[in-house]
Amino acid sequence: MRSKLITLRRIIIAGCKDFSRNSWLSVAAIAVMVVALIMITLTLVLNITARNAISELSKNLKVSVYLKDDAPQSQINKMRQEFYTNPYVADVQYISKDQAQEKFVNSFQKDQKLLEGLALIGGNALPASIDVSVRDLSQIQDVGNIAKQSKYKNIVDSVSLGKTDARKTIDRAAAAQRYITMASLVAAIIFGVVSMLIIFNTIRMAIFSRGEEIKIMKLIGATPGYIRGPFLIEAGLYGVVAGVIAAGVVLSLVYSLGGKVASQAEFAPTYQYLTQPSIIAVLFAGSILLGILLGVMSSTFAMEKHLKLKHW
Amino acid sequence: MILLDRVTKNYNRRGTALKNISLHIEPQEFVIIVGPSGAGKSTLLKLLTREEKPTSGKIIVNGIDYETLRNRNIPYLRRKIGVVFQDFKLLPNKTVFENVSFALEIVGMGNREIRHTVPKVLAIVGLVGKEDNYPSELSGGERQRLAIARAVARQPKILIADEPTGNLDIKHAWDVIKVLEKINKYGTTVILTTHNQEIVNKLKRRVIAIKDGQVISDKASGGYH
Repeated sequence: MRSKLITLRRIIIAGCKDFSRNSWLSVAAIAVMVVALIMITLTLVLNITARNAISELSKNLKVSVYLKDDAPQSQINKMRQEFYTNPYVADVQYISKDQAQEKFVNSFQKDQKLLEGLALIGGNALPASIDVSVRDLSQIQDVGNIAKQSKYKNIVDSVSLGKTDARKTIDRAAAAQRYITMASLVAAIIFGVVSMLIIFNTIRMAIFSRGEEIKIMKLIGATPGYIRGPFLIEAGLYGVVAGVIAAGVVLSLVYSLGGKVASQAEFAPTYQYLTQPSIIAVLFAGSILLGILLGVMSSTFAMEKHLKLKHW
Repeated sequence: MILLDRVTKNYNRRGTALKNISLHIEPQEFVIIVGPSGAGKSTLLKLLTREEKPTSGKIIVNGIDYETLRNRNIPYLRRKIGVVFQDFKLLPNKTVFENVSFALEIVGMGNREIRHTVPKVLAIVGLVGKEDNYPSELSGGERQRLAIARAVARQPKILIADEPTGNLDIKHAWDVIKVLEKINKYGTTVILTTHNQEIVNKLKRRVIAIKDGQVISDKASGGYH
C-alpha cells in the first residue's frame, strides 16, 4: 500500500516534469484545447440563454380579457370556469381593478409624470381583467375566441391576444437558437478533433524523444503503468490548464456581454442563473473534466499506437 | 536456480539461433559463457530476461516456469534478474546517483531507503565521490561499474552481464570483473559472457562454450579454447 502511494506520487511528479519540459508543445496543445472547450461551453451557454429568452417572451403572450366595469360577478365566474376547463389553458388569473391599478403604478414607478397624470384623473380608470396563459402558442387564437362568444358580449369589453409582434420575435429567436446550436456544435466537434490530434502528436513526440529511456525502464523492470502514468498525467494537465482558461474566458464573456443586456426582461433571469456561484463552479468543473477527458483519451490513443508495451 | 531443457529458438528470417540447449546453473554459481559472435550467447541471455520467447523447450528460473509466466508479471521477473549491458544503457540526463535510485524508484522503494541504499551500492562498485557526475563525465570502466551498481541495487538473485568488458581496455575490464566477483561472493548468481581469453583463463570458473547455437563444452574450471 505504502509503496503504491510512493509510486503514484512519483508518477505524478514525473508527469508534471514532462509537462514543463515540453513547454512549447504544451502551449500548442493547450491553446487548441482552450478553443475547443470554449466552443463547447459557449454552445451550452447560448442554448440556455436562447431557451430562457424564448420562455420569458412567451410569458408575455397571454389572452387578456378586459371586463366591463359593471359586469356581474356570476357571469365573470362562469367565463373563468370555461377557461379553466379548456385543455390548452395553463393558468387563469383574475385581476381586479385595484390590482390592475397597483400593477400599473409599480411598473411605472420611475415615470413620475405619468403617475402624476394618473393621480390627476382621479379614481381608477383601469379595467378589471382575466389573464389566460396557454400551454401551446398556436392555440392562443382558439382560447381567445372563448371570450369572444356572444354570450359574454355584455361583460367583455375587449380581448387582446398579447403583443402580436412578440410572436414573430419568438419564432425568430427559436430559429436563431437552432442555428446557433448547430453551428457551435459543428465548431466544437471540429476543434475537439483538432485538439485531440495535436495532443496525440505531442504525446507521440514525447514518446519518441524518450524512446531509449522507456526501453531501459522496461528492461529494468518497470510496469507498463509506471511508464504510461506520466504521459497520462501530462495530457491530463493540458486538460486542467485548458479547462480553467476556457471557463474563465466564457465567464468573462457572460459578465461583459451579459451585463449589458441584463436589464432586459428576457435576459435577466438567464444572467442571474449563469452568475450564481454554484453554476460558476459547475462551469469550471465541467470544463476541466472535459479537458482532462480530451487529454487522457488522445494520449491513450498515442500510447496504444506508439508505445509498444504489448511486446514486453 | 536456472534450468534450460532442450531449448530451441528460431528467428523467422535469420534461421536458428539456439538448437536444443540444455543447461543447469546452481545458485551462487559464477558462469562464463564464451563463443564467437553470432553463436547465440545474446539470444540465450534474452531468453533468460524474457525479451525473447523460446520456439520450444522449457525455461525455469528461480522456480518460475516461463511458459506459464504472464506478460503482466514480466516486470516483476526482471526485478529479480539484474542485467548489465555491453552498451551500459545508462540514462544520460541523470546523475550517477539518480541512475541507481531510478531502478529503486521503479519498484516503489521509499525515498529514505533509497538514500540509504544507493551510497552502499556505489561503494561496492567503487564510485564513491562520483554521485553527482553525469555518465558522459565517466570513463568507460566507471560507466560499466555504474551499470552494475544499478543492476545489483535491488539485490537480485541473478546478475547477467552481457559482454560487460567488450568496450573496455584491459585495466578497466579487470575492475569490472573484480566487482562481479565481489557480488558473486555476496551470494548472487553471475552469468558473464565475454570474448576476452585472458579473463576466462584467469577467473578459473565454470565455462560454457557455445557455437552455432549449441553447447560444445561445459567445464567446471575451464579455460578458453
